[in-house]
Amino acid sequence: MLIFDQLKKNDPHLRLLAAIIFVGLTILLVGLWWVQVVSAREYQAHLETQSFQTIRVPAVRGKILDRNGIVLAENRPVYNVNLYLEELRQQFQKEYARLRPKKIVTNSGPFWEKWFGGGSVKTDYVKMTHEQVDDLEWQARYNVAYGAMAEISRELQKPLSLSFAAFKRHYTARLFMPLPLVENIDARDIARFEEQSLNVPGANLDIQSMRYYPYQTTAAHLLGYLHKDNRSDEGEDASFDYRLPDYRGAIGLEYAYDTELHGRAGEKSVLVNSLGYRQSETVWSPVQPGTNIFLTIDLHIQQGVERALKSAAVPQPVRGAAVVMDVNTGDILAMASSPTFDPNDFVQGMTRAEYQKIQSLTAEKNRATQENYQPGSIFKPIVGLACLENGMDPKALYKVQPDPEEPWHGAIFVGRRKIKDTAPPGLYDFKKALIHSSNSYFISNGLSAGVEKIVEMGRRFHLGEPIGLGTLQETAGTFPDAERLSKNWFNGNTANLCIGQGYIDVTPLQMTVVAAAIANGGKVLWPRLVDRMEPQEMGPNDHAIVFPKGRVRDHLGVKRSSLAILENAMLADTEDPEGTAYAAFRNWPHQKTMHVCAKTGTAEIMDTRNRLTGRTTWLLSFAPFEHPRYAVVVMIEDGGSGGGTCAPVARKIYETLVEREQMNVGQGNTVAAN
Amino acid sequence: MFDPILNERQPRIDRLQLVALAGLMFLGAAFIYSATMVNETAQSAALYNQMWFRQIVWYGIGLAAAVTVCFLDYRSIARWSMVIYWLSILSLVAVLIPHIGSTNGSGARRWIDLGFFNLQPSETAKLAFIFALAHFLSRPVEELWLVRNFWKAIGLVVLPFLLIMKEPDLGSALVLLPTGFMMLFCAGTPKKYLFRLVGGLGILTVFFLVNVLFTPPGWWQIRLENYQRQRLLVYFGVDFAPKNATAEEKKAARDEQNRKSYQVRQAMISVGSGGFWGKGWHKGSQTALKFLPAGAAHNDFIFSVIAEEEGFVGSIIVLTLYAVILFSGIRIAGQARDRLGKLLSVGVVTLLFSHVFVNIGMNIRIVPVTGIPLPLLSYGGSSVLGSLIALGVLQNVYIYRKGY
Repeated sequence: MLIFDQLKKNDPHLRLLAAIIFVGLTILLVGLWWVQVVSAREYQAHLETQSFQTIRVPAVRGKILDRNGIVLAENRPVYNVNLYLEELRQQFQKEYARLRPKKIVTNSGPFWEKWFGGGSVKTDYVKMTHEQVDDLEWQARYNVAYGAMAEISRELQKPLSLSFAAFKRHYTARLFMPLPLVENIDARDIARFEEQSLNVPGANLDIQSMRYYPYQTTAAHLLGYLHKDNRSDEGEDASFDYRLPDYRGAIGLEYAYDTELHGRAGEKSVLVNSLGYRQSETVWSPVQPGTNIFLTIDLHIQQGVERALKSAAVPQPVRGAAVVMDVNTGDILAMASSPTFDPNDFVQGMTRAEYQKIQSLTAEKNRATQENYQPGSIFKPIVGLACLENGMDPKALYKVQPDPEEPWHGAIFVGRRKIKDTAPPGLYDFKKALIHSSNSYFISNGLSAGVEKIVEMGRRFHLGEPIGLGTLQETAGTFPDAERLSKNWFNGNTANLCIGQGYIDVTPLQMTVVAAAIANGGKVLWPRLVDRMEPQEMGPNDHAIVFPKGRVRDHLGVKRSSLAILENAMLADTEDPEGTAYAAFRNWPHQKTMHVCAKTGTAEIMDTRNRLTGRTTWLLSFAPFEHPRYAVVVMIEDGGSGGGTCAPVARKIYETLVEREQMNVGQGNTVAAN
Repeated sequence: MFDPILNERQPRIDRLQLVALAGLMFLGAAFIYSATMVNETAQSAALYNQMWFRQIVWYGIGLAAAVTVCFLDYRSIARWSMVIYWLSILSLVAVLIPHIGSTNGSGARRWIDLGFFNLQPSETAKLAFIFALAHFLSRPVEELWLVRNFWKAIGLVVLPFLLIMKEPDLGSALVLLPTGFMMLFCAGTPKKYLFRLVGGLGILTVFFLVNVLFTPPGWWQIRLENYQRQRLLVYFGVDFAPKNATAEEKKAARDEQNRKSYQVRQAMISVGSGGFWGKGWHKGSQTALKFLPAGAAHNDFIFSVIAEEEGFVGSIIVLTLYAVILFSGIRIAGQARDRLGKLLSVGVVTLLFSHVFVNIGMNIRIVPVTGIPLPLLSYGGSSVLGSLIALGVLQNVYIYRKGY
């Protein structure tokens, strides 16, 4: 090669020079090859990490709506004032120049200085060490940021604070993000800010989305609430430099359907320069908004049920629950629990005192599904059904013996134990026994049918099994199984079970399913809480996912005649003057259209020393008698009696249902009845 | 080889070298543009305030100067070499005087403000030194055997070396040493002397490095500017903090070290991230995002800009262009009419090579960071002017070569 000719030259000096240069250039070439070809990837990675910052952007959470599309949970914009530091860089520099110490020096330069016209006095910057420069720079930045904050504070007429430590932390760790100054300002402040902010450079009004429950306490337990959670989903990039605030469902339907409601967070990356200031933004992966969820709840009915529950004649706040279910579809039209809370408080934050109040009332507990209650007499329809299926003649008369101590009350002896009867002594057939809720009748018949038959019937209603709502608010209840019957089970236990006490616990929702199964001819349905899921914005290819109606969990497999006998007896409970629920339903104005079948219950709660500590009062019902559409169960803790405490609440609920049906006739749409 | 008849058709100038020169000037203008036109402020500046345009103007002035140099026989220029040498020594002294020498905002006094442009006397001194040394060494070889002449030659090297060190400009001072040594060697200085020189320098260097790197504070240390010491410490990866420092001092020292090694690290990221094909002209992110310091990208670190944007391919092109210039320079040395011409060529070639090696080497961390420009590519009037005149001298030697 031409340029290497010299290597062959016979001038040894030049040959050496050429060789040295050749070797030198080869070293550079190999070095460059090593850096640019072999290690290129490593340096490219370096480059990316130092110039990109990734930010997790949460998706817009889906709404929760009632069956008619009324919004129960939505997202409300929250306005924050943020300070964009990259727009303040020039001010940082100006402030630094202003702060920098100066001194006036008399010229100590060489003597000829004056010949060149140099002045003898001038100002000069004082020399500073690296640390001093550093400190001064921080001071300058802080002064500028503090000044901007003070200006905004003045405009909004609202005291604000920005500590040096907080500023430094933000500046060091996430300069690529704006510095938050004020969060969640109200409309008046927004207007003030918009009017005057032009003279605060770098300040900007940013929108953030926050969960909002417009009906506050309505259906609060069912909806649940959210808590702050920025963590990545499965399959999502886990290494973000910053995460914008995000929320996950903590409990209730917000938790159960969190995956669908939450959507998928996106990723935004910010290109930063060498000083960490933001240059530009790119969206790597767009957010996938969450889906909207339509419940089976009817807001009007829900509100009516909650009002009815609160009106119960017990000391406030009422502790109880009420559930309304469509007996044919399993749709839960209302599910209320009292006392209640405002889920907005959990999202927006509340004071310690407020939270302690909620805690002391156990207001967070969804009493309709989350707590074990003894059913008491509302279990008797199941005992009755088991007896009727096993050959008991409903017309056969049973004589209730008087209590030796209180002869105006009945009583029954099981072994040596006396069980009191609220029904007076006398002759009882099935209907009379049910409406008087005679303990003696059901214990006696239950014992002769055998506990296995009662347990088998209870199992067909899936008592003692969870429903699987996924809301983190569910208990399975308690119900004996074959194994439990095989050990330490005595007639006394059976007697207790026959009157819904002892080894049995249920939830109001479970009992609603029981009522519905009796009403609809023997179908044990899966309760249905969610009607359908729809994308927030329906595109041409999007379609709603509709959950099937009336999913049957089990068939009772009982004779139609047995159910008819039971239904007739339950109807008499509200319509026969002797019935326990008669008083509450006296002068029921909807006698023609809405015959109510009911069974009241009062379970006595004993402490470990067998002393009465309270009563769980119940009403289990369905209506109308001829073609049942609704099952309504009311439970109130520490009430007087089922008929006295719960039946009036149930009456109000049925009034709401009738009212709602009339509204629908007026509007021409259907709610529950299909 | 050089048949007199054929010589009629021989070109008067080394065209190949000129092609390489043109290539380098093109790259220089293109990448100074790329390195400086990073924001709107730069783009909206007046044309004559834009670096790339100024560089082209300097190329023009430099080429004119080089052509002028070619019109005069190098032998007649060499007669004035001692005058030029002492004038440049004078300018090196002048630059050290405050209010004559300007610091241009940096810690070193390297420039003389001539109003329209900041002259860097060390750049011109390099050329003057080559002329003076070549002139001195071109005497009959026998005279070089005299110890007196050997020491005189050494003196010619050491005087500008010390003055430039004093500015301080370690890089520019150090390139004088290989240049001087190579000229001594090619002039035929007895090996004996050269070995002693190398041995002496070697011992001095070892002593110097040991002193700088390992001497605890309090002991006698060679006086170096703090940043020079730190650059060496960074290069050799020695901790800034003395061994008995407290944890806090050590942390502060480590932070300091990180800051100091920042430029090299960023330069390496630039070079490395370019990969094989590069990111494309004006698409390098290191300069746009100012990871490469704005003051250095178009200057001492111009190579990292080229390497980032044009990749390994760009690096090969740059190295090839320099190789053409250097090897054609050695060929010119071989064809020189006399020892003066040969020594001038050797001096120019070694000087250019030293610049190239040190500058590119520091981008990939095989040489410590020293602020010396990459000839013809780095922005800077003095450097461009010096390099073009040096190449003019090479062409001059070629024009008046043997048998022509």
